[in-house]
Amino acid sequence: MADFIIAHMYPDLMNLYSDRGNLICLEKRLNWYGYSCEIKLVSPGDNSDYKNIDMLFMGSGSEREQGLVYQELIKKADQLKAAIDDGLPALFIAGAYQLLGNSYIDSDGTNLGGLSFFDFYTRSSKERLTGNILINTVLNEQELSVVGFENHGGRTYFEDSKVKPFGTVISGYGNNGEDKTEGIFYNNLIGTYLHGPLLPKNPSVADFFINAMALRKGIEITTKLNDDIENYAHEQIKDKILPS
Amino acid sequence: MKLRVILAILAGKLVIFLSRILGNQGTAMPGKLSRKIYPGILSALAKNITDEIIIVTGTNGKTTTTNMIAEIIKEKGYTVVHNKAGSNMIIGITSAFIQNTNLTGTKKFNYALLETDEANVPLLLKEVKPRVVLITNFFADQLDRFGAIDYIINLIKDAVRNTDIELVLNADDPLVTHFHHETGLHCWYFGFSDTEYDNTSSTENREGRYCVFCGHELNYERYHYAQLGKFHCSACTNKNPDYNFIGHNLKMRPSIDFQVNNIRITSPYQGFYNAYNLLATVSLAKLIGIEDEIIQTALAKYQPQAGRMEKFTINGKETILILVKNPAGLNQTMATMKYYATSKNLFLALNDNAGDGRDISWIWDADVEMISDKNIAVKKVVCSGLRSGDFAVRAKYAGINPDDIIIKTPLQEGIKAVVNGPGEINYILSTYSALFETRKILTAMERENTETPKQLTAEA
Repeated sequence: MADFIIAHMYPDLMNLYSDRGNLICLEKRLNWYGYSCEIKLVSPGDNSDYKNIDMLFMGSGSEREQGLVYQELIKKADQLKAAIDDGLPALFIAGAYQLLGNSYIDSDGTNLGGLSFFDFYTRSSKERLTGNILINTVLNEQELSVVGFENHGGRTYFEDSKVKPFGTVISGYGNNGEDKTEGIFYNNLIGTYLHGPLLPKNPSVADFFINAMALRKGIEITTKLNDDIENYAHEQIKDKILPS
Repeated sequence: MKLRVILAILAGKLVIFLSRILGNQGTAMPGKLSRKIYPGILSALAKNITDEIIIVTGTNGKTTTTNMIAEIIKEKGYTVVHNKAGSNMIIGITSAFIQNTNLTGTKKFNYALLETDEANVPLLLKEVKPRVVLITNFFADQLDRFGAIDYIINLIKDAVRNTDIELVLNADDPLVTHFHHETGLHCWYFGFSDTEYDNTSSTENREGRYCVFCGHELNYERYHYAQLGKFHCSACTNKNPDYNFIGHNLKMRPSIDFQVNNIRITSPYQGFYNAYNLLATVSLAKLIGIEDEIIQTALAKYQPQAGRMEKFTINGKETILILVKNPAGLNQTMATMKYYATSKNLFLALNDNAGDGRDISWIWDADVEMISDKNIAVKKVVCSGLRSGDFAVRAKYAGINPDDIIIKTPLQEGIKAVVNGPGEINYILSTYSALFETRKILTAMERENTETPKQLTAEA
């Protein structure tokens, strides 16, 4: 068995925006740190046992596909929430992130519901929020910038001030283009609208997940990787967004 | 009104003349200005087409297909209005008509051959009445411009419904074949029978894996490439339609050689995507009644255009320039590298201007891992363009040794680095907005190269 197992949830349905880049990144970095990694594909109907899983990943899908995944997950919601509460690392992009809230109101005004793990809702709008995005976040008490690309019709609003965003928008739209919040952050879960994909150009975020996975197994990673190329790409977009 | 037509033409032609003097590539201004002076200018000039108006649209292969059809029409001796690469929006198409017509706007042409951006098809159909619309394929391309591929498909479907247009469709693409069902239009289909290059499984992240009619998964007997292949729905009757034009006996080494029905076609092109472009071209040429010999002659001598596998010789090394704009195109380009047994230097200029698509995350959907294959033997990867860093990261995570990755954001520096690499062939890949400058640099380098030895001889 591999040292780490990452569950790729419903890749046949949720694969809209090059999301597999995040998985390629996690797998390679784990290899470079000296660990093996297996990406386990999860399909609708599969048994969900989170005991042997080190991390969850779900990408984005169209409204229709998101609906199918919702029907599947609502059956297993308690188990999933318990695993997240327990600190299971998880990355949910765009459509997958929206599923975690109380409701998703589609373009016809119909409420399609949500898993209600967190107190927020999303309203769909015809006009898409698209472009490069720069946010600031704090991971393991370190403040850092995160870059990516967003392309979403949904506007997400928090319904409780206790819900914590993934970051603060410096440039771009984020959750709704109004309140400067982007994504959510809870234990080791990040929900976000950044695709781009997120992890390869933000190696600190990738390492946040890797360290969280390792710590749950009692492993401390002390090796440092050479991230010159990743950091170059990060700075290149940052310069583009905020010309100095 | 006649006066406004002439005024619009005059203004447009003046802009064309001025921009030529200034050495600009721009093809939008003349059309824009003429349309402002007389909004009906395109409709008016389209009435000068005596035979047929043909529209070519789809995600990949529009330019190559349109250029080859134009060659055939010219070989036959007919006259044609044809918009050149990069001007496939309604304004660019208007410019092409302005450029070709005379000052009174009365010059007749046999054909109009219009390469048309997918989103511009509905606009164009409001102004011109084509006999034929050819659809090459649909791939996720420039997602940020269109939101989703389904949206664009419906847009075109709505635009052709209730017309008497004939459609020429790719029978191997499940995102294209359903056009007959909802439009009721007469459809002609082209596609490939089994080839030795097919796969029975697909690793690519592909479009259209679900049936457009019932939503169930499509089963594939064979994949030619990406989602193009022999498919049937697991639940309903949806499958490839019967072919009118069937490509068979395909050989791709050293270049394309195959049969369309009973016509043998040879071409200097490579790659399966170009085999599809050739098949689409031959199908259309047959439909407008052109003789086999003329088609064969035109295609055999037709040389690829800017960025469509154009060849240069630099420092004595073969240097190939290729336009890439989406995962399917990049995958196909990387796959053709296998046909050369020699080592390679690879250059990619990745830009994120409007013409390229602002979102460059598609590079993660391409199987860049292919270039770390020992058989392809890539010695250096030079990353250039506005998003050079992104491709460098992609190459690193695809398994290329970071020491072999060079980032040179300015094109001139990047091209200099790649042609001095240790590989025996240079592959120069570029997204759209970097293509013309890249080509200019390569052309200049080739010229310097051929001039230098002469000077040396003179000195000796």
